Amino acid sequence: MSAAIGTSERRGAGRLLPGFWSLVTIAVLVIVTALLLLPVINIIGLSLSGGVKDGGLFEHYRTFFSERFYYQTVFNSFWVSCWAMAFAVALGVPAAYFVNRYDIWGKGLARAAVVLTFVSPPFIGSYSWVVLFGRSGVATQLFASWGIPLPTIYGPSGIIFVFTLQFFPFVFLLVSSGLKTIDQSVEDAALNLGSSEFRTFRTVIVPLLVPSITTGALLVFIASFTDLGTPIILGEKFRVLPVLVYGEFVNEFGGRPVLASALSVVLLTITTAALLLQRWLSARFSHASAAVRPLEVQEQPLAKRLAATVFVFLLIGTALLPILNIVVSSFLEAKGPVLTGNFTLANYQRIASRLTLPLWNTVFFTTTATLLCAMVGTAIAYIIVRRPGFVSSTLDTVVMFSYAVPGIVLGVGLVVTYHEPPLALTGTSVILILAYFIRRLPFSVRSSVSMLQQVSRDTEDASINLGAGPGRTFLKITIPVLATAILSGALLTWSNTIRELSATLILQSGTTATVAIEIFNEVVNGNFGVASALGTVLILLTFLPLLLLFTVIGKKEDVLV
Amino acid sequence: MTILRGAAGASLPFFSGRAMTSTTVRIDGISKRFGSAVAVNDVSVDIARGEFFTLLGSSGCGKTTLLRMIAGFLKQSEGSIYFGETCIDDVPPQKRNTGMVFQSYAIFPHLSVVDNIAYGLRARGQSAGEIKAKVDKYLGLTRLSHLGHRKPRELSGGQQQRVVLARAMVIEPDVLLMDEPLSNLDTEMRVHLRAEIRALQRQVGITTIYVTHDQEEALLMSDRIAVMRDGRFEQVARPHDIYNNPATRFVASFIGENNFLPVSGIRSEHGRTMLDLPGGRLLTTVHVPTNGPLDAAIRPQDMTLSPEPSGTNMPGLLGTLTDIQFLGGTVRYALDLGDGHVVQVAGSSRTGEALPQTGSRHLLSVSAGALRLFPRGNA
Repeated sequence: MSAAIGTSERRGAGRLLPGFWSLVTIAVLVIVTALLLLPVINIIGLSLSGGVKDGGLFEHYRTFFSERFYYQTVFNSFWVSCWAMAFAVALGVPAAYFVNRYDIWGKGLARAAVVLTFVSPPFIGSYSWVVLFGRSGVATQLFASWGIPLPTIYGPSGIIFVFTLQFFPFVFLLVSSGLKTIDQSVEDAALNLGSSEFRTFRTVIVPLLVPSITTGALLVFIASFTDLGTPIILGEKFRVLPVLVYGEFVNEFGGRPVLASALSVVLLTITTAALLLQRWLSARFSHASAAVRPLEVQEQPLAKRLAATVFVFLLIGTALLPILNIVVSSFLEAKGPVLTGNFTLANYQRIASRLTLPLWNTVFFTTTATLLCAMVGTAIAYIIVRRPGFVSSTLDTVVMFSYAVPGIVLGVGLVVTYHEPPLALTGTSVILILAYFIRRLPFSVRSSVSMLQQVSRDTEDASINLGAGPGRTFLKITIPVLATAILSGALLTWSNTIRELSATLILQSGTTATVAIEIFNEVVNGNFGVASALGTVLILLTFLPLLLLFTVIGKKEDVLV
Repeated sequence: MTILRGAAGASLPFFSGRAMTSTTVRIDGISKRFGSAVAVNDVSVDIARGEFFTLLGSSGCGKTTLLRMIAGFLKQSEGSIYFGETCIDDVPPQKRNTGMVFQSYAIFPHLSVVDNIAYGLRARGQSAGEIKAKVDKYLGLTRLSHLGHRKPRELSGGQQQRVVLARAMVIEPDVLLMDEPLSNLDTEMRVHLRAEIRALQRQVGITTIYVTHDQEEALLMSDRIAVMRDGRFEQVARPHDIYNNPATRFVASFIGENNFLPVSGIRSEHGRTMLDLPGGRLLTTVHVPTNGPLDAAIRPQDMTLSPEPSGTNMPGLLGTLTDIQFLGGTVRYALDLGDGHVVQVAGSSRTGEALPQTGSRHLLSVSAGALRLFPRGNA
């Protein structure tokens, strides 16, 4: 029987429905509804019902769009996000091309550095830039003493600069994996037909990379648009939308949750639109092709080879600079925000006494959320791949919607939904764990889905045929076969969750503070020495599981995106 | 091996003292629809205990769908399936006690050979000693004893297929179901394994339903074959009958090779039937359907080639030799009978015999019992 017919037969509705999976489907639908849909619906509801109390259904939206103080933040957000996106593409595409196609020196180092940049907590990087290039920054004063004024790191240009360096790895990693799907014969054919090297790049390679580039670009856009830490640290008077939401929600003089809700809805609308655009673009421009023989590394003349190497390492070196600065600074004596040149372990001694609770919180929340993600994510992936139908595709859509919900919006939504008995979860560990879980769920689902699609369904049918029920089959066959995928998904979840800031800022109370929160507080209070020591610990915690992933499990860095 | 062949065509394995765990299978008016598409259309058959029953057809004929309904992976839209006297329509797949062998092997990649074979026994909660004894027995039967602790990735395709065969048979299923188990193997291994499967099936005496698109495999292995087309059974019969007495024109063209020639006239001469065909006329002893135009089907090896005779009154078809394909022991000839009718003739080549020349005229003769008649146009 041909593959096509086999598939269509299997998708038929007449498959016997074992009770086990129906129950699991109901359970995950309840979970996803409670943690994602309900909070989003409640934000929308509150923004409207609160408006009714204050004068009209759209009262708060009217306020938002009529007062420059508010609507200006949307323009500001677009401004920094679009520039960051443009620069990230302009730098990320050539960097990826050089690393993957040219015989530059230090390829492995370059890849590792990109990963390190990508996974380091962005707000630490921002403050690190302040320390280097702020008004009293080390580099600023050094250059000033030579009579060279440096451009300011504050305001929109600084934010764009930091976003570009923080998020260009999206483009780098996606283009790198995109290049692997192009067959060498395509390039050979173009050259054989008389096309020059650059013309071939422009007319053959780039068009085939369009899906990777657009996806990378929109991920940069969304990440920039929803980031909270960097604009708080660098923005000063330049306010972007997430900062406004945060300010309205946790204002010391009584927050305005209704207005914050309306702002969240605006933010959510924009990110959802961007995500839909990304989906449409990648469907529109995708070229279904698998490379039999992927593009090969080209030998370049020495000058070109040298120039490409310099370009790559200038970019990556700049992106790594704040991280190096943090690690070095953590061993330097600090007087408030001013660092001296003296080596000390005092910063680590100071955090050692205070770190116990936040560190425990961080590890506990992250690990619990990771385990939940692995279990629920695998179950959802199974339902999506193996039990296609209306319910399954609905579930798929809802889970993927979670990509579009910014951390801060999810935080506001969870507070709005779970602040009253019987489910008064605000300020508890549970709400943070649940927030981490639902934020990372789509990534777990996606990694299990792609693995499951490669496993023949016959393997599970064979188990059922031999007398094992659906539950036993899932535990004894599906899970072990997927073990590597689940483990690598879990390691990724762990290292991504551990540095979460924006939802945590909304949801934490003093006793549930995480390492990321502690760093943020120290940064706001200007204790850069302590912040650096904490930051070094956090970078280590983020990087260790990835090290495991790349070395022991042997994954490539493109699993990150 | 001693085999008694029953009148119905079922083979009755002749074992003394062996427990017969297998059962009869009754398929009663089964249909399966996917939306508006009909995959299986009202099929019924009774399969005897211990019979090797084959579903034969090309891609999309519904044979795998039918097999998956018997296994319980699909639920039929209409009809019922019985194992013995028990209706199993509402029995979930894991309770049906069928042993299935998949085209893709579906070997459990993370389990050793022994653990693969023991899987179904463990699911049934059997004791460790019992499991070990049964696994050892089937390791021996499938000649895998020395590979028991290997992982699937360390096995060849043929070895993997034997593992899943042992895995399916060790649970002593009521019915063994095989979905093109040999189609992923190379020719040599396929030829070898089909003999092995058949021997093992007879030895254990298990009712087997086998799906294949390979007619040689079906003819060689089966007690009975159901030729399927568009979700229906075209014919259910023993291999010899399927080949020699195809029930429909489709079966005649699908199984083996046939030349179809339009019958332009039917005459009775001296109590015998004479058919007017392109290039001449032929005598037949088969029953002639009365209504509608007919096609005559003649297999290539049932025609004899001889030089054009001088007299003209002999029955036979006159044609011009247009092509000769020399295949060693056999020679294939193409003869043009005029009006675009070209027939394929299979002959043998004997040492020292010269081959005829293309362009020469020849007479084809066919023995009176070898010709079959079908209504025309019913492809």
